[in-house]
Amino acid sequence: MTDQQRYHLICGREDDIRLESRVLEERLQDAVARGSRRIEVEAWGQHGIGGRLWRAGDDPLHIRVTGHSGQRLGAMGFPGTRIENMGPASDDVGWLNAGAEIIVHGHGSNGVANAMAQGKVCVAGSIGARGMTMTKHNPRFAPPELWVLGSVGDYFGEFMAGGVAVICGIEAQTPGNILGYRPLVGMVGGKVFFRGPHGGYSKSDAKLMPISDADWQWLVENLWEYLEAIGRTELYDELAERERWQLITARTPQDKVIRKTRSISEFRQSVWNRELGAGGLVGDLTDMDMSPIPLITTGELRRFVPVWENRMYAPPCEASCPTGIPVHERWRLVREGRVDEAVDMALAYTPFPAAICGYLCPNLCMQSCTRNSASMPSVDITQLGRASIDAKAPELPPITGKKAAVVGGGPAGISVAWQLRQAGHEAVVFDMSEQLGGKMRHLIPESRIPKEVLDAEFERIRSVLPHVNLQQEMTKDEIEQLKADYDFVVIAAGARKPRILPVPGVERTVAANDFLARAKRGRIEPGRTVVIIGAGNVGCDAAVEADRLGAENITLIDVQEPASFGREREHAEAAGAKFRWPCYTREITEEGVVLESGEVLPADTVVVSIGDVPDTEFLLDSVQIENGFVKVNAHYQTTDPKIFAIGDIVRPGLLTDAIGAGRKAAAAMGEIAGGRRPASATGMGPELNSVSDAGLQMIDTSRVSLEYFDPRISAFSGVEQCGASCASCGTCRDCGICEAICPRGAISRKQLPGADYEYVADPDLCIGCGFCAGACPCGVWAMRENDPLN
Amino acid sequence: MSADAKITPSTLNLKDLPWQIAWSREKCTLCGQCTAVCPVNAIEPGVFRKRSVDVDINAPYQSGSGFKVYHGIRQRTAPAYHCVGCGMCAMVCPNDAIMPYRSDEADKLRFHLDQGGQPERRGGRRNAPGGVLDQIKFTRISMLTDPALDAGRHEFDMRTLLGRILPPEQNMQQVLENGWIPPVREIYPLIIGGMSFGALSPPMWEGLQMGVAYLNEEMGMPVRISTGEGGCPPRLLRSRFLRYVILQIASGYFGWDEIIHAIPEMKVDPCAIEIKYGQGAKPGDGGLLMWHKVNQLIAAIRGVPMGVNLPSPPTHQTKYSIEEAVAKMIQSMYMAWGFRVPVYPKISGTSTALAVLNNLSRNPYAAGLAIDGEDGGTGAAYNVSMDHMGHPVASCLRDCYLNLVSLGQQNEIPLFVGGGIGKNGNLAANAAALMMLGASGVQVGKYVMQAAAGCLGSETRRCNICNIGLCPKGITSQDPRLYRRLDPEDVARRLVDMYVSFDTELRKIVAPLGRSTSLPIGMSDALAISDKAAADRLQIKYVV
Repeated sequence: MTDQQRYHLICGREDDIRLESRVLEERLQDAVARGSRRIEVEAWGQHGIGGRLWRAGDDPLHIRVTGHSGQRLGAMGFPGTRIENMGPASDDVGWLNAGAEIIVHGHGSNGVANAMAQGKVCVAGSIGARGMTMTKHNPRFAPPELWVLGSVGDYFGEFMAGGVAVICGIEAQTPGNILGYRPLVGMVGGKVFFRGPHGGYSKSDAKLMPISDADWQWLVENLWEYLEAIGRTELYDELAERERWQLITARTPQDKVIRKTRSISEFRQSVWNRELGAGGLVGDLTDMDMSPIPLITTGELRRFVPVWENRMYAPPCEASCPTGIPVHERWRLVREGRVDEAVDMALAYTPFPAAICGYLCPNLCMQSCTRNSASMPSVDITQLGRASIDAKAPELPPITGKKAAVVGGGPAGISVAWQLRQAGHEAVVFDMSEQLGGKMRHLIPESRIPKEVLDAEFERIRSVLPHVNLQQEMTKDEIEQLKADYDFVVIAAGARKPRILPVPGVERTVAANDFLARAKRGRIEPGRTVVIIGAGNVGCDAAVEADRLGAENITLIDVQEPASFGREREHAEAAGAKFRWPCYTREITEEGVVLESGEVLPADTVVVSIGDVPDTEFLLDSVQIENGFVKVNAHYQTTDPKIFAIGDIVRPGLLTDAIGAGRKAAAAMGEIAGGRRPASATGMGPELNSVSDAGLQMIDTSRVSLEYFDPRISAFSGVEQCGASCASCGTCRDCGICEAICPRGAISRKQLPGADYEYVADPDLCIGCGFCAGACPCGVWAMRENDPLN
Repeated sequence: MSADAKITPSTLNLKDLPWQIAWSREKCTLCGQCTAVCPVNAIEPGVFRKRSVDVDINAPYQSGSGFKVYHGIRQRTAPAYHCVGCGMCAMVCPNDAIMPYRSDEADKLRFHLDQGGQPERRGGRRNAPGGVLDQIKFTRISMLTDPALDAGRHEFDMRTLLGRILPPEQNMQQVLENGWIPPVREIYPLIIGGMSFGALSPPMWEGLQMGVAYLNEEMGMPVRISTGEGGCPPRLLRSRFLRYVILQIASGYFGWDEIIHAIPEMKVDPCAIEIKYGQGAKPGDGGLLMWHKVNQLIAAIRGVPMGVNLPSPPTHQTKYSIEEAVAKMIQSMYMAWGFRVPVYPKISGTSTALAVLNNLSRNPYAAGLAIDGEDGGTGAAYNVSMDHMGHPVASCLRDCYLNLVSLGQQNEIPLFVGGGIGKNGNLAANAAALMMLGASGVQVGKYVMQAAAGCLGSETRRCNICNIGLCPKGITSQDPRLYRRLDPEDVARRLVDMYVSFDTELRKIVAPLGRSTSLPIGMSDALAISDKAAADRLQIKYVV
């Protein structure tokens, strides 16, 4: 029986005309349906021969293809179908093969086994591009196989997802590279056995693996079958040499994640720094540590560091007190239960702690109190002031031998003498009156200062200053003599000469100072109607006195809005005085004051209160006068170095200004007497109030936390409550809040020798968060930028 | 503010600020980390008084009130300390108790930042989200009309040319006559734009340079980086890595004497020389490195004393006309390296760009033209310059490219553009769009800072404090306490990630166009936009 007899022949051509692929397919399917199981197709390039022949059922079906098979030989082949192509094959042999065995007795073209899922393709030669691409392995079936005797073309195994390819490298079309250009890109499954040189493959997708015994077992077992199929069993021995075979498998997804490149750290060390030198890019320019640091740092790497600025700044009270009393320190003593010391402390600064702080001073300390910024009442110093009436005179040091003559026994003169004596220098006071005290004693109405208070304070002064020469008028000669007899002369004669009102009838008026002095001694009867020209504080005092002496109708007139303020103004208003302005006086007549407007203000008494000027007639020519006042430097030294001048003769001011000037002048004289240059003065007068007497800048009050204080206290029950309510701006209250709030436990209290202590922040713990500064009630802690590192 | 304080016109409340700090007393553990890290001291520890009222309406009537004090975080309202929204507080908070939130209405702060008559300056960006680049679509998808390529698996050759390319006949003639052929570099089309050593911190600069070296030597990507104006560390000048560096020369000429001194010792030539005439962020304004940033290191690299202000004039001082200016500079810079290094100018986007380009087209030495558009970033600029000056980059580029086309020189003078590319995160799409509009490559700065160093800037007025040296990420600071937060290795690592992913994205765009071996420069038939006016202006397709 010949082959032709055993095979049912289907010719791809009929009457010299090529059958359409559709017709050939119909005939082939029909033959199988009618029972043919061996079919020979004489192909004329028809598409897809041998696929889809499920009608054969479980019977083996053999399709032999002669002639020129077209594209996609055996496409969608079924299990049981065996297709033997007797020559080379066109594109896509075994496309989407689902089980057929396809043998090509020649070369295969492009796309062999593309998308094959089951079955087997055996090629007796080499194949073209994109073989074994997108192949699958369905776990329900055995994996597909591609056997190639020679080499494969470019892009072999792209997207290969399963199956086994065996590339034998025998009689290869490209013997130098049997896997072709860029094979196995996107491979995710399957195995490729190959034998021969290759030109690389996608390392990111696939990897070389040692051939296991099981793999080898599979290969040699199936190798014989393959060689038999293509009729090349003579090659078996040659191909069965295990050492010449290699195996590529797909990388697993986990495998792919690892980038097979050098790490940056390694690159830096072995490439970057090797080329540039140790320290890298700028290692030659700096030896600074450049190693990475965390966001939160300590020590020198902190951006900000806390500084315990205890007593580095003056509180507003102290800074604004012309006398220079450290008010907050007095409250500290009160808080510590040392009220007596708090009281006595003032005497180091002023001879009048009760009279002035408690009664006569407008209390600049209270006006500037930080508590005001939160609408809370200022700590009430008058309470402590009034308690100072019992302050005991300080113990006096022995006399140094230096002597000063003080001309004028008012507050300024007493202050300078008081300070000089406390420093051990002798001070002799000369005054024209029969009593010490100047304006304080003679002019200020008793309504503002009880007599007992003044008496008590003057009594204390007398114990400190026994040498007082009263009722002494001074002349140039006498000053000259004092200058010769004493180390220093201090002029504290005040401003005693009333300014004259330049209008007709001025002789009918009484000067305010005269009026007040006489009033205080009960030596004037002002009548029922009083007009006071000049509505300042002195005018107010006059009004109050007039009221006390029976006047019913009191008018204060001024050319501008009256400058009076404080208690003087309050008392005058309480006395029913009327304020009028602007009023320009034309003349004074018997009826009273005639204004420029023609209006007549009737008056029994007309008081002129438009200020006083110093009387400088008695001063030496060496003392320069400027605008009617004595010219002094920052130490209250006049142009005559031995002569100092303080108080209203230098410039008009508050009592506390005069007291402060006395202190400063005394300090300067003390320095000069000791042969030193006076310390640079911290200033004088109200415009320099932001600097304390001790030379400290006033604290920025926004540093102080007032939230700790009860905002509903409107009046203080006593000095204890006052002390408790003082924020102690700039001076540590030793409350320990900083220590408590520090998140790192960096802050601790350190006891110093004696009663001193300090709070310190441990740089190794501190992160520079600023919580200490934020929480500090006193504004003692501050955050400072750390020192630059480069 | 204190109860008795008087208000001023610039007294602001929290509502007036662009950012508000939300702080939770309940969650806060008072650890202090937020106040320690806040770059501008916008928050501070505060003492709060909490009053409570206890009431009793039944006899014997014992109502009363009391208060308790608690501690917490307070936001400051003074303009000098306004919150910039950087969010570092949230980053360090262990309990998520603090976070800045953007105000729900326009802030009042902006009217008060000119205290002392000094208009507001800032670093960073224009804060203008949106823009034409993001709207451009790639509509030509060549699945069957051209060979379809697989972006993930095909081998792509994403390279561009930097340098003057002679027409073939002229090139051949030069070869035959042994004449001069302009140097041309084959480089990666995404260039790191000029950010100076000084504007950037040492670890940032080193990290970028290291990353670039890695990309070249480990990844095979010929990435190049411009130095910006501020010189170049001596070691880099003398290393083989100089090949990856574009040295910038600008009107201040800082660091150039150090570069000149290094020329005899250079192992390799630099990639190119960029002559900076203008900057997109602040056209017509010179740079200024404030004295406090001029520390020992910066001073050494720039060749100046420490602690001095370093202003750059708005223009190069010895140039008087376009012809002269460009020709003179290009000649000088070529000469320095024996005519082996391409030299090109960089200008800010301007309606006069064509005049510059026409000039370059007649200058056989001009190696290209870089244009920096209005969205360019900066270390420091006046708001008014940044917000209102400059030219959008797309149309400026397009005009230049089409002009070259009309001259027949589109393949001879490469155009590079920068300014806001990827500002909304679409780096590859913006870059590809610009290439198809005619750019041979793009320059990026801000994107690099964000991707490689975690810059907090956004197009919505966040942070933007590069100018004051307080960069909370250590990117633009010269203070070791800040810049040591940045690890140069991390910067390099992220730069590599950024480039590798950009490369993938760029392939995803060009593969469907069937391009794998040459960039689609000028391939504007692939572009479309749904804005008719923009389509007309850019001469690309209008689609809806």
